[in-house]
Amino acid sequence: MKATAVIADDEPLLRAQLRSRLARAWPDLEIVHEMENGRDIDKVMQEYEPALFFLDIHMPGVNGIDAARVIGGRAHVVFVTAFDQYAVQAFERGAIDYVLKPFDEERLAVTVERLKERLEAKPAPLDALVEELAGRLGAKGADHLRWIKASVGSNVRLVPVEEVLFFQSDEKYTRVVTCEAELLIRKPIRELLEELDPARFWQIHRATIVNVDRIASVRRGLKDQAEIALRDHGETLVVSRAFTHLFKQM
Amino acid sequence: MKSYAYLFDGLTVRRVLSVTAICAAAAAAVVWIFLNTYRDLLVSALCVGYTSMVLFTVAGNIRQVRVPREVMQLAAIVIGSFLGTILAGLVKGRDVRQMFGERMAGVSITMGLGIGFGCVVVAMFILREKHARDQARFHRAESERHQLEKNLLEAKLALMQAQIEPHFLFNTLANVQHLVETSPSEATRMLDSLIHYLRAALPQMRESTTNLGREIDMARAFLEIHRVRMGARLDFAIEVPDPLKSHAFPPMMLITLVENAVKHGVDPCCECGSITIRAVESEGRLRVSVEDTGEGIKPKKGGGVGLSNIRDRLKALYGASARLVIEERAPHGVVASIEVPAGGAA
Repeated sequence: MKATAVIADDEPLLRAQLRSRLARAWPDLEIVHEMENGRDIDKVMQEYEPALFFLDIHMPGVNGIDAARVIGGRAHVVFVTAFDQYAVQAFERGAIDYVLKPFDEERLAVTVERLKERLEAKPAPLDALVEELAGRLGAKGADHLRWIKASVGSNVRLVPVEEVLFFQSDEKYTRVVTCEAELLIRKPIRELLEELDPARFWQIHRATIVNVDRIASVRRGLKDQAEIALRDHGETLVVSRAFTHLFKQM
Repeated sequence: MKSYAYLFDGLTVRRVLSVTAICAAAAAAVVWIFLNTYRDLLVSALCVGYTSMVLFTVAGNIRQVRVPREVMQLAAIVIGSFLGTILAGLVKGRDVRQMFGERMAGVSITMGLGIGFGCVVVAMFILREKHARDQARFHRAESERHQLEKNLLEAKLALMQAQIEPHFLFNTLANVQHLVETSPSEATRMLDSLIHYLRAALPQMRESTTNLGREIDMARAFLEIHRVRMGARLDFAIEVPDPLKSHAFPPMMLITLVENAVKHGVDPCCECGSITIRAVESEGRLRVSVEDTGEGIKPKKGGGVGLSNIRDRLKALYGASARLVIEERAPHGVVASIEVPAGGAA
């Protein structure tokens, strides 16, 4: 019986390349389908019932790792990658099959031999490895706000949060102050606090959040308050009594 | 309980010792005018000196903004001399009423001397403090300059290390590998683009100054490669008037914007997208922009190291007269532009 396989890669030439290389290295393998990314794995499984998936790791939309997750143990998976040190290390340790781009004829032959053997057995579950890969390659720290969108005239300006010196509420709006500009946004301080990275952005007043990286000095001010001087900016910020503990000496 | 300890900040052993020394010297200096013994004068001087010192310290620490600190401190010296003289009288067991009666002359002299010496000492103190403040400001400016230099160096280093991604290189070579078998003429074109790109991107081949034309060529080579690789998904246009190509432009900034446009703009969205590079000169400024019709920036997705690298380098090269602006494009996509003073040819 001929083995069946699906190739998923976002670059059309590389799909064609892998197909032609496999045709030489493994004439009995039939490529039943090609995909641009890892979407609709379930449909493909149903329609073609392939024994084998060649998955490029980097694909737009659903990448190879997500696709492997969906496949679960229903088919054998071979990862295809151009260069991923971490991934290759993980593959070696987990005895996972992978193919490196550009394709090397000899190495591909070795992989093919191994795959032929593996196809006899049931696909090994990849869950642990897939999770590890996802952790290493996936979007880390993606849950904090990274960009501020503010309208300037008819345009929407995008400011990376690390450029922001401080946020300060100003009646209806929130002032976003950077070295170069001052912008107004509608998002209130309270919501910003929830979304910003708390390691970098500290609330120092009911109405103010400061970027800790941009603080030049802190000195005691009137009453029990403190005053913050910023780097590259003339404005001083008041730390209200409730937040002065943040700046107490260690 | 509210603590007022801060009012006595700066009342150090050193300050007490120097005031004691000044008092001893002052008493010695005037002992020949008076009929009093040195010991008697020293007691008066110390009373005036310590009272003034305490009041001076408190005056310097009171948190208020209406009266300048120096004025408060001088007032403290005057009041301190007055109170100190009375204190000296009490210490010596004299009758306070008598002090303002028949002994008034002596008391005034003590007070006057106290105020005189006090003012000289305070003036010296204030001058020294100002000097220290200037020194501190100078150090701060210095350290900021160092920081800037360090940032620039790091930016340069990061630039030299990270330019050619192995991922990009191997993927491109895999494409060439295929084209060699299927369409040699296209393979040659792609190799040409790759060579062109590598020549510009490899650090040791890069010159420190460059012009917009060269940067555009490099961006074009990069985009040509990606157009082949991504098939129909990528389209690009370069709208840069020829006269602008000879303008000086910092190296490796445009390519970073173009890479971002491909990587974070067009590539993640599965439909096709286009990238347009534009340059315009107006009012002595050169504005180079990269526009993509990709998926746009998600507020919670990371901004690249590349952008802060560009900002650091712009700041080091041009100070406040250059900037990097990133804007959303309607209906979707991003426009990133670099604005620099339109310099001469390079």
